[in-house]
Amino acid sequence: MKRVALIAHCLINQNAKVEGGALTPAVWAPVVEMLREHGWVIRQMPCPELAFAGARRFWGVYEQYDTPLFRRHCRRLAKLIAAVVAQEVGEGDELVLIGIDSSPTMGVDHTCSSPTWGGEPNIGPQDDSALVEGRGIFVAEVHAELRERGLPIPRSTGIRHWFPGYDAAEEHARLQELLR
Amino acid sequence: MSDLRGRRVALLSDSLLERLLDPLAAEGFGVIQLPPDGLDNATVAAWLEQVAEHVEEFQRTGYEVVLVSDGRHDEALAPLGLAQYAIQPPSTSRLTPET
Repeated sequence: MKRVALIAHCLINQNAKVEGGALTPAVWAPVVEMLREHGWVIRQMPCPELAFAGARRFWGVYEQYDTPLFRRHCRRLAKLIAAVVAQEVGEGDELVLIGIDSSPTMGVDHTCSSPTWGGEPNIGPQDDSALVEGRGIFVAEVHAELRERGLPIPRSTGIRHWFPGYDAAEEHARLQELLR
Repeated sequence: MSDLRGRRVALLSDSLLERLLDPLAAEGFGVIQLPPDGLDNATVAAWLEQVAEHVEEFQRTGYEVVLVSDGRHDEALAPLGLAQYAIQPPSTSRLTPET
């Protein structure tokens, strides 16, 4: 039996982040180190934003990405994740999912929201975006696809390195709880 | 806002991921994982399709993209025209006896 971690694409490829979002050149090491420490095998999920909106996409919030076409794109990618999950479950493997809390697409418990973002990209001092509780669109579509196939929803958490006042110790403890 | 991305991307075979993730990261390469063994053909095809979509976007926008491969999916990835990245052999310095 393996322990398999489905992880957000950008955790080992920071190039997939929206411009301005890469906190390291390549890899978010704390997660990789903890996965190794606890014997988890990495399965990198696709980045739902990169191929759809491009490497030069603007920052976006949940409401901007929540279009029927983007949902279909996410569902197509979610079918790949579901196929991997089905295979691993069939082999009796243990699964977890690690997303990116604050992401409009990869959030597990938190996503970013604004009732007004749109139009000229220079939001400036009128920025009303906020972190809110809720799943990102891709993670929601993964859950929906797994439910439709009668597959279990992996235990999950989201990396919060873009939260204001990011608390690395809190995140470490939360990951320990997920991965132990 | 500063952004630390390396603008270097390596497609990395699953069999090499554990050994080469750290050395590649040290050279500024983010990694796109290639399909592991044991998946059915349809899942492998879907996996490689989305990998190609990522690669084409990185290439279009000027990122360096290389292949670090055990050869398993080279034929399917050939249309992307990626350079094979030379894997450095493990250092032997630790094996050199002190004199």
